[in-house]
Amino acid sequence: MGDSRSSGDRHLFLVARKPRFGLPTACPSCLPVYLYLKLANADFTVEFDSSFPDSDHIPYVEYGESVALNNEKGGVIELLKEEAILDLNAKHTSLAIPDLVSTKAMVSSWLYEAILYELWIAIGGDVAHNIYFSDLPWPIGKILHWKKIYNVKKLLGVTKVNCEERELEIYKKANEAYEALSLKLGDQVFFFDNRPTDVDALFLGHALFVLHALPETSELRSNLLKHDNLVKYAEHLKAELQLDSTPSSTQPSSSSKDASTSSAPRRKPSSGWGAKPNPKPKKEKTEEEKKFRRRAKYFLATQLVAVLVFLSLMGVPGDSEMDDEDAVDYDEE
Amino acid sequence: MANSDPIPRDQAPPSDSEETNGADEISEEGEEEEDTEYEEFEEEEEELDPVRERERLKSIFRRLSTDPVHVRVHDVVIKGNTKTKDAIIEAEISDLFKKPRTVQELVAAASIANARLKQLDVFDSVSITLDAGPAELPGTTNVVIEVVEASNPLTGNVGVFSKPEARSWSLEGSLKLKNLFGHADIWDTSGAFGWDQSLEIGTGVWVPRFKSVPTPLSARAFLLSQDWLKFSSYKERLMGLNFGLLSTNNHDLSYNLTWRTLTDPTRMSSPSIRRQLGHNVLSALKYCYKIDRRDSHLRPKSGYAFSSTSQVSGLWDLRGLKFFRQEFDLRAAMPLGFWNAALNVGLSAGAIFPLGRNFTKLSTSVPDRFFLGGHSSLVCSLGGPSSLLGFQTRGLGPNDMRRVLNLNKDEGSSVQSDCHDFVGGDLAVTAFADVSFDLPLKIFRDAGIHGHAFVCAGNLAKLSEGEIRNFSTERFLKTFRSSAGVGVILPTKFFRVEVNYCHVLKQFENDHGKNGIQFSFSSPL
Repeated sequence: MGDSRSSGDRHLFLVARKPRFGLPTACPSCLPVYLYLKLANADFTVEFDSSFPDSDHIPYVEYGESVALNNEKGGVIELLKEEAILDLNAKHTSLAIPDLVSTKAMVSSWLYEAILYELWIAIGGDVAHNIYFSDLPWPIGKILHWKKIYNVKKLLGVTKVNCEERELEIYKKANEAYEALSLKLGDQVFFFDNRPTDVDALFLGHALFVLHALPETSELRSNLLKHDNLVKYAEHLKAELQLDSTPSSTQPSSSSKDASTSSAPRRKPSSGWGAKPNPKPKKEKTEEEKKFRRRAKYFLATQLVAVLVFLSLMGVPGDSEMDDEDAVDYDEE
Repeated sequence: MANSDPIPRDQAPPSDSEETNGADEISEEGEEEEDTEYEEFEEEEEELDPVRERERLKSIFRRLSTDPVHVRVHDVVIKGNTKTKDAIIEAEISDLFKKPRTVQELVAAASIANARLKQLDVFDSVSITLDAGPAELPGTTNVVIEVVEASNPLTGNVGVFSKPEARSWSLEGSLKLKNLFGHADIWDTSGAFGWDQSLEIGTGVWVPRFKSVPTPLSARAFLLSQDWLKFSSYKERLMGLNFGLLSTNNHDLSYNLTWRTLTDPTRMSSPSIRRQLGHNVLSALKYCYKIDRRDSHLRPKSGYAFSSTSQVSGLWDLRGLKFFRQEFDLRAAMPLGFWNAALNVGLSAGAIFPLGRNFTKLSTSVPDRFFLGGHSSLVCSLGGPSSLLGFQTRGLGPNDMRRVLNLNKDEGSSVQSDCHDFVGGDLAVTAFADVSFDLPLKIFRDAGIHGHAFVCAGNLAKLSEGEIRNFSTERFLKTFRSSAGVGVILPTKFFRVEVNYCHVLKQFENDHGKNGIQFSFSSPL
C-alpha cells in the first residue's frame, strides 16, 4: 500500500501509550505515528508506556541504538523522513509538495489545537484520565492531570476572561480545516495522488480519535460527522489497516529487550540514522590537558589533606591547660 | 551530733566544792583543777567526735556498697518540669524503680533513669536524689527527680553525615524545636546537600512514646532530588512520607510512601533506562535488624556486627512498585597483637525480586537495584553491599549502551558513544579484608591517624526479565571484580578522611575501575 524505502530489513520498536476505545493507541499524539508505520508497511513492534503520561518524548521509535523522540526535530514522523528510514512522501511529485506542506501545516496546527482543547478543557476529565492516568495511583494521576490542564490552557492562551472567545476561534478553525480537507479528499482513497502521505497518517489519527474516543456530546465530533466523505475515509482505512484487532505488543516492564551484561562484547553501532543530540558532544581533550587537570586535582587534594592534618594535630586549646592554671592558683592559695 | 563549742566558765555547773566553806583556797584550787580537767575532757571529746563521725560514715558507705542493704522505693517525686508532662517522665523511668530491693540496685537504676531522661534531649540537666522515706515507714526511700528543661527550645545544627541511602556523605543543616507540646516531642526541619549532587529537604517529628506504644515513633515528609545522569542517564526526584513505627537498639521498622519520578533531560539514555523513566509509587515496609558488638565503629579491633534489612513494596496500591528486597551484612574484627593492628573482614549480599505473576519475567526498578562502586569506607559502613574501592560510583556491573550520535550524515559516519548506563544488578555480593595498624610516629598515634591495607571484591548480576534462567554461579564467581590497596586514615574533627591508593586487580569491559589515589570522606561520629 505504501512505499517504505528501506524498512524491509529493519525492525522498529514503537513505544506509545496504551490502546483504548478500540484504537491501537488512544493517545492523539501516538496514533498518527502508529498509522504512519502501518501505512508504510513497516516491520514494527509496539510497546506501551503507562508510567510517564506527562512526557513529551513519547511516542518514540527505536532502531538499534538509535531513537527518534517526539520532542526532537519536529517529531517522530519528520525524523523518520529526514533520515530516510520511512518516507511516505518520497514518490510524490514536486508539484504536490507545496499543497502537501500547507495541508500538513493546517492539520498539525488547527486540528491539533482543537484536539487539545476538546480533550483537556471542553469535555471534562474521564477520557483523558482513561488514556493517560488510569494506571497511576489516584493522587499522582490527579496532580498530573491538573498540571496538564494548566499547561494546555497556557499553550492555547485560554484564560477565564477569553475562554468563550478562544473556544469559538478554535472550533471555527477546525471547521474550516474539515471543509478544506473534505473538498481536497473528494472521493479519493488518499489525499494526494491516491498514495498515502504523512498527511493521511496525521489526519487519519485525528479523525479516528475524534470519532471513537470523544463522547457523542463533543462539538468537535459533531462537526466532523457533518463531512461524510471524511468519516468514510477514516472508517475505510481503519478496516483496511485492520486496526480493530489489538496489536501484538509488550509492556515495557516485560520487554524482552535485554540490557547487555558486563562480560558481553560491546555492540557495534549500526550505520544509519540517529538523531543529532541537543547537548554538544564533549570536546576531545588533549593529553596535555588531561595531565594538567590530573595534576591540579592531586595538588588541591594534597593541600586539603595537609590542612586537615594540621588542624587535627594542633587541635584546640584543651581543658588540661585550664586545669593546670587552676591547680597553680590553688597551690598559691 | 556533738557540740563543738566549749562550755563557758560562768555557766559551769555548780561543783560540790561550793558547799565546803572552810578550805576556800583549797576548794577554789580544786574547782579550778576540776574545771580545767572538765574542759580538757570536753576538748578531747570534741576532737574525737569528727573522727568518729568520719569513721561512722565510712562504715556506712562500705556497708552500702558491699552488703545488701534492703530498701524499698516509697515514692517518685518529679520536680522542675513546667512544660513536660509528668506522664512522659514517669513512663521513661517507671519500670526501673519497681524492682530494686537494695541500695546498690537502686543506685544502678537511678543511673539508667538519668541516662534515659537525658536521651530525650529536651532537658538541660537531670539529677536524681535518693531521699529518706516517711519516718513511719522505715526502710523506704523517696526518689526525687529534678529536671531542668531546655532554656532554648530552638537549636540549630550543621554537620557532615554519611547517608547510606545516598551512598555518599552530605552537608546537612537542621533546626530543631524541642518539646513543643510537652510530650518530649522534637520537631525538625533539615536540608542536606550531598557530594553526589543530591539535595534533600525534610521536616518531621519524633516522640519517645505515643499513648500505648512504648517505643519511639517518628513521621517525616521529605523531598529528595538525586542526579545520576553521569552514571545512569537519569535524574531522580522523590517526594513522600516516612513513618518510623518501631525503633529500638536492634530493631527498626518503618513505612515509606514515596512518589518517585525518573527523568532524562539530556535525552541520551539507553533503552533500558528510557523504559524506566516516569512516575512510580513506592509503598514499602522496611525492617532492619542490627547488632553491633564491635568495640568501635570507626576503628574496630574486636567484636562482630550483623545487619539484615528486608523491604517489601507494593502494599498500598496494586499500581505501585512491587518487589521484595533483602540485604545481609556480616563483619568481624580481631586484634593481631602488634602495632595496635586489627583484622576486619566483611561479607555483604543483597537480592531484589519483583512480585507478581510470572515474576521471573518482570523487571525491577533501577533505583531499587544494587550498585557497587564508590569510595565509602569498607569498615565503617554497615548496611548491605555498596562499596568497592578502586571503582567509580556505580562503576561496574550490568550496563546498556547509550544513544548513538550521528554527527556526519553525509559520510554516514557516527560517533560511538563511549558511555554506558549502569543499570544495576538484582543480585550483589561483596567481601573485604582490611588490616589497620598504627603508624610509627608518636604524633600520628596520638592524633589517631593510622594506616590500613585492604583487599575487596564484588559482583553484580541481573536476574529479572528472564535472566535468572541464564544465571550460573560458576560464571558469577568467575566474573568477580577485585581491588587492593593501602591508605591512611585521618580522623579529624570535621571529617573522617581516608586517603587510599587502589590497584584494580580484576575488572571487565565497560567497568570504570581506575588505579590511583582516592579520597573518602565520612562522618567523624
